[in-house]
Amino acid sequence: MKFETVIGLEVHVEMATKSKIFCSCSAEFGGEQNDHVCPACCGMPGMLPIVNKKVVDLGMTAGMMLNCHINRTTTFDKKSYYYPDLPAAYQTTQWFAPVAVNGTVEIETANGKKSVRIKQIHMEEDAGKLVHDDWTGTSLVDFNRTSVPLIEIVSQPDLSSAEEVVAYLERLRSLLRFAKVSDCRMEQGSMRCDVNLSVRPEGSDKLGVRTEMKNMNSLSAIVRAIEYETARHIDAIENGTEELVQETRRWDDVKGKSFAMRSKETAGDYRYFPDPNIMPVVIDDAWYDAIKASLPEFPEVKKARYTTELGLGDYDADILTGSRALCDCFEGALAVCGNAKEAANWLISDCMNVLNKKQLTADQLTIDGKALGELIVLVSDGKVGRGNAKKILEAMFEQELSPAKYAEENGFIVSNDTGLIEKTVREAIAADQKAVADFKGGKEKALMALFGKCMKQLKGNCDPQLLRTMLIDEINKA
Amino acid sequence: MEKDTLLLLEKVNQLSLSESERDTVLGFFEKRECDMEKLNAIDTENVERMVHVLPINTVVREDVAKKLFTRDDLQKGAPETMDGFWQVPRVVE
Amino acid sequence: MKKIMLDQMILTDCCPTNAGSKMLDGYTGLFNATVVEKLKEAGYEIAGKLPVGEFAIDLVGESCFAGADKASAAAKTLENDTVMAHIALDVNGAPRRVAAQNGLVFAKPTYGTVSRFGMIPVACSGECVGVMARNAADCREVLCTIVGKDEKDGTMHTDEVCKNAAAAAAPVKKVAVLKMPTDANDKIEATKAKMAANGIEICEIDAGVIASANAAWNMLMCAELCNNVSRYDGVKYGYRTKNYKNLDELYTNSRTEAFGLTLKTAILYGSDVLSTKNYMAKYDKAMRVRRVIVEAFAGIFADFDAVLLPAVSKMAYTEKDSAFEENAYTAPASVTGLPAVVTNGVQLIGPAFSDGALLALAEALEKEGK
Repeated sequence: MKFETVIGLEVHVEMATKSKIFCSCSAEFGGEQNDHVCPACCGMPGMLPIVNKKVVDLGMTAGMMLNCHINRTTTFDKKSYYYPDLPAAYQTTQWFAPVAVNGTVEIETANGKKSVRIKQIHMEEDAGKLVHDDWTGTSLVDFNRTSVPLIEIVSQPDLSSAEEVVAYLERLRSLLRFAKVSDCRMEQGSMRCDVNLSVRPEGSDKLGVRTEMKNMNSLSAIVRAIEYETARHIDAIENGTEELVQETRRWDDVKGKSFAMRSKETAGDYRYFPDPNIMPVVIDDAWYDAIKASLPEFPEVKKARYTTELGLGDYDADILTGSRALCDCFEGALAVCGNAKEAANWLISDCMNVLNKKQLTADQLTIDGKALGELIVLVSDGKVGRGNAKKILEAMFEQELSPAKYAEENGFIVSNDTGLIEKTVREAIAADQKAVADFKGGKEKALMALFGKCMKQLKGNCDPQLLRTMLIDEINKA
Repeated sequence: MEKDTLLLLEKVNQLSLSESERDTVLGFFEKRECDMEKLNAIDTENVERMVHVLPINTVVREDVAKKLFTRDDLQKGAPETMDGFWQVPRVVE
Repeated sequence: MKKIMLDQMILTDCCPTNAGSKMLDGYTGLFNATVVEKLKEAGYEIAGKLPVGEFAIDLVGESCFAGADKASAAAKTLENDTVMAHIALDVNGAPRRVAAQNGLVFAKPTYGTVSRFGMIPVACSGECVGVMARNAADCREVLCTIVGKDEKDGTMHTDEVCKNAAAAAAPVKKVAVLKMPTDANDKIEATKAKMAANGIEICEIDAGVIASANAAWNMLMCAELCNNVSRYDGVKYGYRTKNYKNLDELYTNSRTEAFGLTLKTAILYGSDVLSTKNYMAKYDKAMRVRRVIVEAFAGIFADFDAVLLPAVSKMAYTEKDSAFEENAYTAPASVTGLPAVVTNGVQLIGPAFSDGALLALAEALEKEGK
């Protein structure tokens, strides 16, 4: 018998906000344990939740990026269960009126294109972190992540293979990064998913027994888990090796197996009810329109524009549209310098070099596109040498600056004082007669050595073409 | 209210009652039946639920992070801590 | 300096707040409630804390944990005229009953006019911070001090609306008397007589759906309470059992040992109301009835300026009495968020933001009494 796998995903994404969802603690990743904590997010009584507006902005943004209907009145509810990482023993989430519903995400795999339906996107608070201490046999609780804002994106069971799941997750990551909803770093847990999976005979319209694997945070582990779980289900159905039960399972990537979870969270009744302390959030037209207007172009739309309208190659356009930060900087630079190819080159080679040296990713690019454009203009106008321009660029990674002003202050402005150049060239020739002889003897390299010495003497502030011409003239005279 | 249901409620709420307490609670639940009758006597067919008694909405704050409390203060009354963590018996997954 | 007492539901950073529960015995909050800050700013002295029943849901404080300092109950404290007023969280009517049975005044303000920041939360959709005093004038002075918008409470009216409510002075000319059975009927009759003497028009009306307010409030209150007190689990602060081998026992034994039976009963009832099986029939139904009651009051206030009703069924309780039935008199204002003033052993309820007008009426009735 042939089988098909039916998969639905619940993807949790931590939103890129400065503060938590209901209190003003920092939402920054990392920090000493329990350092980003206040009475509210460690479960003490007396503080009241006030919704972070940015969370609603980003929730709406995510909804719009995923073609969802935005609920103009969205409300918060409480979900109760006991677990040490949940300090108030309830999580504030959205159960009755989530921010966004009924969307779609388009994916593409070797099997072609597919539209994955989104059931809903809701905003909620994250839980804390447990560390298991083997020395004392205890669990240690850190509430830094407690109340960090999340969106949970719930798909319909429209996925049917590990490949599709990966394509879906990569698409979500790209869209959400582009819209600056989240940095979607799976290794830091800012994007993770629960995989709901069942198996049924091909062509059957009845769903099989569903199991859920929680908190998956690496694509490769997700692929292995789906393959393992699919095989386990088929084995159980075909060979009766075990009786499948609807349950939550934990994937152990080291052992390469999934295990039934016995945690309390899976037991009992969540007893959802509307949070009396949080008034409904009503999204008026002005708010809705402002978010709509702030949406970025989809990456593939941008790419098409970069290649057809701006004449960039596929390779360059791919690299640029791989990161919203690169696109923003590129477009900022282009607006100033008007030269797409030149702007792309500066980003793809020079900026990426600096990022690599600093061990940063493209998304962490912070330089201002307008300033980069000004720098490009300085070079193309022959006012700053390319070598010095790179020095200015490096300085731009350290501080916000005006390239023209910085060039002037640091003596990087090209001088076309022919008297000075002539003097420099003569001195160089006088000091290295061997090089002159070598050049005259046909050694092109000897000219480069002289050229380098002169350029150094002139601190790079010389039009290279002019220097070269004057150097050859002077050698010929000598 | 069946006793089994009560036992389940105790479990969900991390409580464990004595038999005599259970009798008291079952008696309480029985009395609450009249509450249910009172409510059911009121027609709410076309009535919208009322979560909040005040007619305001959209109370939001700007996204500004502030540090107002220290870990030491927050853990001052903690039953057990270790290295700045709250400590509990090992959680079994 | 005028002295103010606080009940054990109001957090202060200087001294412990136990909510009448062994669970929070010795627990000190890390900040002051907004009302405390407002009182201090206005030059009042916070003179101390007074005991409450466990999480303030009982009749008159009888469920306060054994071993708590119960030396100076609210009524007794106010006999001493060095104390001007007592601030109490009105969750299930206890401070109104205390005032009614001891000849004191208590004002439960319009919901959303006094900040709840710094209250130990129990039933957030209806609980209000109120003021108990010997007379209406003192009560109004203190209420005017503590009202006002607080950015730290997301369920408040604008500052202007809050302040106007406490200062409201439109005269009460027409009062509806709700027919509700009580042994304290003589108080109602005495008040009616005084009102008549003050030229107020009085008309008796049936309580109608308002008589079912406590059925709805019992469900809403217990459900919210169940959720709000689930945070007390022996992990982060407060009571932790000595008797545990694993996490489950730590949770269960801490809660079982620290909570009293009245509270446990309310938790279990609230949990049942919210269960998937009962949510629509019970919790959702109670929220709909809440609206029906709000509308019933709106209907009454189309014709009347205030409602007169009993605050208690009797002037002293026995062990057989239960707050879940006795709150028939207090739940109407709790479930609707309407302002209520207890004076002369009876209760007045007015439309939203009529707080000051109710107190002015209470003041007029006091004078008549002397």
